[in-house]
Amino acid sequence: MSDLALALWSFPALLVLVFLRVPIALSMMAVGVCGSYLIYGTSLPVLNAFKNVTYGTFSNYSYSIIPLFLLMGQFATLSGMSAALFRAAESFLGHRRGGVAMSAIGACAGFGAICGSSLATAATMGQVALPELKRYGYPGSLATGALAAGGTLGILIPPSVILVIYAILAEQNIEKLFVAALVPGLLAALGYIIAISVWVRVSPNSAMVKDRVPWSERLVALGKVWPVLTIFVVVVGGIYTGVFTPTEAAAVGAAGTGLISILSGQMTWAKLGQAILATASASAMIYLIILGAGFYNSFLALSQLPQVAAAWVGDAGFSPWFVLAVVLFMYLVFGCVMDSLSMVLLTVPIIYPIMIVLDFGMSPQDFGLWFGILVLIVVEVGLITPPVGLNLFIINGMAKDTPIKETYKGALPFVVTDLIRVVILAAFPAITLWLVWFIDSF
Amino acid sequence: MYVMLSRIAGGVARLLALAGGALLVVIVVLTVVSITGRALFSAGICCGPIRGIYDYTEIAVGAAIFAFLPWCQYMNSHAAVDLFKSALPDVLNRFLNVLIDIGMLVLAALIAHRLWLGLLDKQRFGETTLIAQIPVWIGYAACLVGAVGFVLVAAFCVIRSARGLIWKNARTEPLT
Repeated sequence: MSDLALALWSFPALLVLVFLRVPIALSMMAVGVCGSYLIYGTSLPVLNAFKNVTYGTFSNYSYSIIPLFLLMGQFATLSGMSAALFRAAESFLGHRRGGVAMSAIGACAGFGAICGSSLATAATMGQVALPELKRYGYPGSLATGALAAGGTLGILIPPSVILVIYAILAEQNIEKLFVAALVPGLLAALGYIIAISVWVRVSPNSAMVKDRVPWSERLVALGKVWPVLTIFVVVVGGIYTGVFTPTEAAAVGAAGTGLISILSGQMTWAKLGQAILATASASAMIYLIILGAGFYNSFLALSQLPQVAAAWVGDAGFSPWFVLAVVLFMYLVFGCVMDSLSMVLLTVPIIYPIMIVLDFGMSPQDFGLWFGILVLIVVEVGLITPPVGLNLFIINGMAKDTPIKETYKGALPFVVTDLIRVVILAAFPAITLWLVWFIDSF
Repeated sequence: MYVMLSRIAGGVARLLALAGGALLVVIVVLTVVSITGRALFSAGICCGPIRGIYDYTEIAVGAAIFAFLPWCQYMNSHAAVDLFKSALPDVLNRFLNVLIDIGMLVLAALIAHRLWLGLLDKQRFGETTLIAQIPVWIGYAACLVGAVGFVLVAAFCVIRSARGLIWKNARTEPLT
């Protein structure tokens, strides 16, 4: 079998393993190691590499941003900021129709600014907002759907663990990616709020409204969320201006959210332990996948498949936009069954070299940023689509009286806004890129 | 007997994870101190960044991640796709659990053994980190603690899922 055929056959092999519930890290590692062995004809190169690759990966300075951001997010869930954000958003939006659900979205967006994980955002905001939504008579479908969708803002709004991983794989600037993610992230929140607004107009009895809150109280409520804003500005601004490295910024962010949790009296030794254990499982899971993906990708590189595939797509004369549409569609389909992180790690090293040779009429750097944001959005849609949308399960598990079918139904309008947003951002790259251009022009 | 074994494996995994977390917290604090020192230095007041802070970060985070592996293994929190789990017969699923856990044990053993050989290499060549001049093998040694824990916990997980295969009602969930 030629090296190329070997690489092509590795895809079905990988899929079979993955669908047999073999952990994704182990599947990639097994296929990658076996493939390299078959190409070399001996196991020595792989075994030799193994002596240093694990240590090299786990102690890589630019990867160390990942556990620190996870720790920052875990501390943020203890900080009490979720409640403060929700109160502040409610004081501005609560008197509108569907306002309590809109406030939950707004609070999720705020929380996403100090937490780079969707699941943590969904879980934390769910605790705060679900009881309130129930009190104001929101149907379970809308309440759980809105919160599951709101949770994805944890990833869509920087800082974001998935963007960090994309940046590493595609060799992009983390700081510029964070800036590029900002406007699409806010558009996501806006889209969700519009979805709620449409929902409560289509079925007008689905929610009660709160009394309008005077400006004086609004400002007081807003004043309580200043730590969130401060941390966000210091972390993202600090990275962008080069005051510190991304890893240092994550450490500063973790220190910031940790300090707030201590000051708010929420941090106990037991909770610190839980935060660490949650960081531990998530970090170990991610690093093992990075390790597995490393072996798999070096096998693919050895087989020359990415170059051949890129040349083939380039020569075949497909319209770049057609290829982009196919790729994004594929992500949506796979997102239904696979978690977003594994998908990014598995696909970006193959897809990115293919996409970069296509001419979208923009510089390679702009393309890298824009494509990264599009991928980020489509993989996040997977978190709120059945059958394995993790956010749906997390929120549904908290709302005991809502059947999972209702939650699926409730998430649907939000998925629609996600799809609309992808189309708009794909058609108009400038929406994503203008802020990067604007800041770069100084 | 089994319950005791499970509690020991879980206890070791938890202890290692907490130790790794403590390392992360130390790095957070050191980084903040270093940045403050650097800022004071550029303001012309005093101090300066911690020399070799990046080296410390690399070693500490590496050791922490290795120490996190046993907990991830014990809690079964590896990313996996269980879409077809409900479609497969129960016996097959229990059999797959054993195979998967054996696969993880092989991986854990390979990682630990190769790390040990890597350590010997680094010791022989006397390689040190760039700035702080720490011998690199010390970093490997710190990671070996977690790597060995990973092997032990992965071995326990094989026993756990094997029991699940033999006895349909055996407890296979993590005990915490």
